[in-house]
Amino acid sequence: MTAQPRSAVAAALALLGMLVLLGACQRPQGGVTSNVAPAAASTDGDKVAAVPLGDVAGVAGSTYTETIRNPFTGDPQAIAQGRQMFVSMNCAGCHGYDAKGGMGPNLTDRYWRYNGVPVSVYKSIYEGRPQGMPAWNPSLPPQVIWKLVAYIESLGGTAPAGAYEASLRGDRPGDNVAPEAQSTSTQPASAGKDSATDATDATAAASPPQARPDAGGKP
Amino acid sequence: MTGGASRLVAAAVVVVAGFAASQVARAESSMSYLTTFGPAGDPATRLGWGLGLISIAVTVIVTALLLAGLLRRRQRADPKALAVASDTGGMAWIYVGTGITTVILLACAVWTIRTISAIAMPVGTDLSLEVSAAQWWWRVRYDNADPSQVFDTANEIHIPVGRPVRVELESLDVIHSFWIPKLGGKMDVIPGRTNVTWLEADAPGVYRGQCGEYCGAQHAHMALSVVADPPATYAAWVADQLAQAPRPASSDVAAGLATFSRHCAACHAIRGTDAGGILGPDLTHLMSRSTLAAGTLPNTPANLLAWLADSQAIKPGCRMPRLALSARELQSVARYLQTLQ
Amino acid sequence: MSAEQEPVLAFDPRIEIDAARSRTAFGAFGRIRLCCLLIATCVHGTTSWAGAASTGTQPAAPPAHALPTADFAPGDPAGEWRSQARDYANTRYSPLRAIDTGNVARLRTAWSFSDGTQNGHEAAPLVLGDTMYLVTPYPNLAYALDLSKPGAPIKWSYAPAPTPVAIGKACCDTVNRGGAYANGKIIYNLLDAHTVAVDAATGHEVWRTRMGDATRGETMTMAPFVVGNKVYVGNSGGEMGAWGWLAALDVDTGKELWRAYSTGTDRQVRIGTDFKPYYSWMQGKDLGETSWPAGMSKTGSGAVWAWISYDPELNLIYYGTSNPGPRVPTQRPGYNLWTSAVFARDATTGMAKWAYQFTPHDQWDYDGVNENILLDIIFDGKPRKVLVHFDRNAFAYTIDRTNGEVLLAAPFAYQNWSSGIDLESGMPEVVPEMQPKPGVKLPNVCPPDIGGKDWQPSAFSPRTGLVYAGIFNICMDLTDHPQSYIPGTPYDGMEMKRYPAPGGNWGEFMAWDPVAGKKVWSHKERFMTMSGALATAGDLVFYGTADGWFRALDARTGAVLWSQKLGSGVIGQPMTYIGPDKRQYVAVYSGVGGAAMVSSSMPGFPPRGSTLYVFSLEGDSPHGGEGELETRGGAPAARSDHGMGGKP
Repeated sequence: MTAQPRSAVAAALALLGMLVLLGACQRPQGGVTSNVAPAAASTDGDKVAAVPLGDVAGVAGSTYTETIRNPFTGDPQAIAQGRQMFVSMNCAGCHGYDAKGGMGPNLTDRYWRYNGVPVSVYKSIYEGRPQGMPAWNPSLPPQVIWKLVAYIESLGGTAPAGAYEASLRGDRPGDNVAPEAQSTSTQPASAGKDSATDATDATAAASPPQARPDAGGKP
Repeated sequence: MTGGASRLVAAAVVVVAGFAASQVARAESSMSYLTTFGPAGDPATRLGWGLGLISIAVTVIVTALLLAGLLRRRQRADPKALAVASDTGGMAWIYVGTGITTVILLACAVWTIRTISAIAMPVGTDLSLEVSAAQWWWRVRYDNADPSQVFDTANEIHIPVGRPVRVELESLDVIHSFWIPKLGGKMDVIPGRTNVTWLEADAPGVYRGQCGEYCGAQHAHMALSVVADPPATYAAWVADQLAQAPRPASSDVAAGLATFSRHCAACHAIRGTDAGGILGPDLTHLMSRSTLAAGTLPNTPANLLAWLADSQAIKPGCRMPRLALSARELQSVARYLQTLQ
Repeated sequence: MSAEQEPVLAFDPRIEIDAARSRTAFGAFGRIRLCCLLIATCVHGTTSWAGAASTGTQPAAPPAHALPTADFAPGDPAGEWRSQARDYANTRYSPLRAIDTGNVARLRTAWSFSDGTQNGHEAAPLVLGDTMYLVTPYPNLAYALDLSKPGAPIKWSYAPAPTPVAIGKACCDTVNRGGAYANGKIIYNLLDAHTVAVDAATGHEVWRTRMGDATRGETMTMAPFVVGNKVYVGNSGGEMGAWGWLAALDVDTGKELWRAYSTGTDRQVRIGTDFKPYYSWMQGKDLGETSWPAGMSKTGSGAVWAWISYDPELNLIYYGTSNPGPRVPTQRPGYNLWTSAVFARDATTGMAKWAYQFTPHDQWDYDGVNENILLDIIFDGKPRKVLVHFDRNAFAYTIDRTNGEVLLAAPFAYQNWSSGIDLESGMPEVVPEMQPKPGVKLPNVCPPDIGGKDWQPSAFSPRTGLVYAGIFNICMDLTDHPQSYIPGTPYDGMEMKRYPAPGGNWGEFMAWDPVAGKKVWSHKERFMTMSGALATAGDLVFYGTADGWFRALDARTGAVLWSQKLGSGVIGQPMTYIGPDKRQYVAVYSGVGGAAMVSSSMPGFPPRGSTLYVFSLEGDSPHGGEGELETRGGAPAARSDHGMGGKP
């Protein structure tokens, strides 16, 4: 009958162990490991901080590196966080909860007053723009701004990095006609879309588009 | 030493160890739920102790009976008998045992139900808080029928001793759990719904709380404290909290406010200034709170500076970003924040 | 006050006699007696013109009570239009009747003018003597057109160059609701929160006063209102956490005389011992601050962005305040006084006399800014001086303007947020299910943020005793998102999807009996009816639609007598005047924008425009016809591309 005392001792130890664990709860434990993403973002943020931001907006042949890529492009988690910031930093109040414009311009179409490559969108957020867009530079750290850009990119209107000239015209690389005249052919992503997309395009074709939206498009 | 005796010893060890542990907990752990300090928690604590002791007593008695049964020398049977003689006396034990068990279980059930009803809903609370849990801190709004008495604070709840306080719980992101062990049980905080619990402390003191449901990387650093004040102290605290932040008294402090406004105001509010962010804690009376970053650090000048300098090193992944501030700016923001008494 | 003074039906196209104006000094009873005469003559007139109307609509029975009247002070010349509402009482009623129900079908475009600015054109032109004055949306140009010369050439133009920052701070398009004439000056507000006075003769700037900080979301879109040597202006920015105010400036110098905030301490709100709100829940000390959570009243809006009325007898001005900020109500428990309310203030000192909050703790953006028409009525057998107000909350109020007592509050548009206004307490009874919770979509709230009627001003005709207004039939799905206050960004948080209420029509034009609290007739419109209304002694009412129709209706029956499709949607305010050639003209801006853009995804919604259309019978005018090949004289147009970009 040696097993019984051993199990009893084990039970007592288990109880004591639990109490020790409970006691541990009161002391903050150091060295908690974080998600990988923020750590990666912060290193990228340092790189991003080096982006020259003094260029004159809208000047062709700009000297800043228009090919700079957004470290978060296509990252679903970053896009979700970007959307969250879009609402909580009052962006939606101006640009609309659907980002289709309001007090501020539509961010889902291909018309970019200050160019639609990611780094230009970044600059617009970072520095602000003359018609009322505030500068978010000191309030939002670079990685948050990049996440906002990632969200805006996910809306489909921006130009890819490097497509500076085309983006000024509202075109995509390879486009040879104005975007308004096109229906589904230009966007590679739309190739596999279902008939709902076609229906939308058909409606768009039926009611001719108006002049490009400008500031103060709607209340 | 027989096996039965060793069992008894083991049981005794368990009881003594449990009691000793509870004494240790009572003396040392702010998170111990073995003793509580108010009517929101006391009935449950009594119930817990009572059920625990009953369970132990039942275990001891049953064990003793079992041992007695095992050790009782059976009457030597006649090996030549055709059948074992029937023994009808045992049935009485079963009836008595079942009866006693039923009575005890029923009594426990009644006690449990009465306890649950006693702590379920606040009775006649005139004080109500909205507590919103977010990764990884607690926003606290003091409600009042008079809107001018409504104010926001964070991570530190003050309540008057001896008055029940209704707490409405909402989540700003994921599932959390509101838990002040010494004042009552846990209440989950679930996105999209409002759960209601309540607090009441019958002794002044600081009662530590903690998010009780894993909610992400910094779950462990999502603490809060409930400070139970005597009524007069509490009233003074409320009056202090309602006041706006003082205007900067010196140019140095004013520079700190200016830097704060540019870098921090989109997320933090300081009443009396332009800072009106709701993403992070309201800092209007930051210095009246005993900890920083939801119980992560004691609120000392050195810790405040360290937190401003590199929050991500202290609480990695938290929503407070690393700030692009020079050492001089950091100092000046910290100096400004220290004026927020 | 004899029958001879009533040549109302004399059919002289050049008649300028203003019977109504001559009654300025009469007491209420005098007006009523005159009014009875008017009824008698008008009823007769209607029958004789029935053939001309020929719409098949049965004329509405005349109201069973005495007709309301109004004081048409300051008694501007009948052929002129010197302020946006034409008179202190805000009637937008013209005594002209050369164009009437019998001949309105012959109305044709006489001439037009494009000011070259985009965005919503919400103003009415002003006409003084031979000159027409126009004020445009941002960049807030001013034009003087010489009506005496062929082609109505530009006499002068003025470009104030407001900062483009204001474009992105204006909630609802970069609109302007027009100017006011005072003492040889055209006074108007710039989007970047300045008030300017321009010499009406030369177009030179006389003064410019900075009234607010556009970078913090404070803009100005309302039309100044002039009484004597004071001009009253207020700010916009209800969606930006601005601190709402009304200020009085000296007409000649632009110096600020006083400023009354809509929230804050009694001192800031200019509340003194004279302040006597009618209802007890609005009585108390510093309610503009204590009906808010600690520290929130100064970003609580109550912007003053629409119309002001004035009662010369009581020397009181009346105006409404905007929604509270942020628009998410759970962030600001309390009544949030004095937002979504109407103030009566001493016109000289600015001290408040009384106030009434239409929508306490407004949860749906129901601004109280809509116009207050000052009428004198017989109510329950007693003469009452009232103001008639169609609130955004879809209730029409008839309020005693001497003390703020609500005599009548009845819904005029489809609504489901309230089961009615308790006249004992003056409180609306809120339907509990219609109160939004943060993050939870609340479907089918009616009316939506833009209300059962927005700023577009109504008109009153003393000939019918009715008030005419373009109203909405819209609902919304509402989701609230709690907001941070970040200066210069929206302090807003309402995510909305708007759609027509039962019936499917977005708009409606109605005639309202302010004594009975009932709709007399209405005309449904598929598109929003967001233009101002004009009533004339020709028994016509004019209004326009968001898809660009400009219509004239029979004021008595609501029959559509004339319609013309214009280049863009109409959200401006129609007005009428007598030209130097003694013809009567009707003018309206066509240039859709403003809050009408909430329906811009509707098929058939027109593009933007910037054209002033001027109509006359047969289109006759000295500005067209054979032989006039070019515009004579005239200054060049003002630059109009400020900040709008030469190229997109």
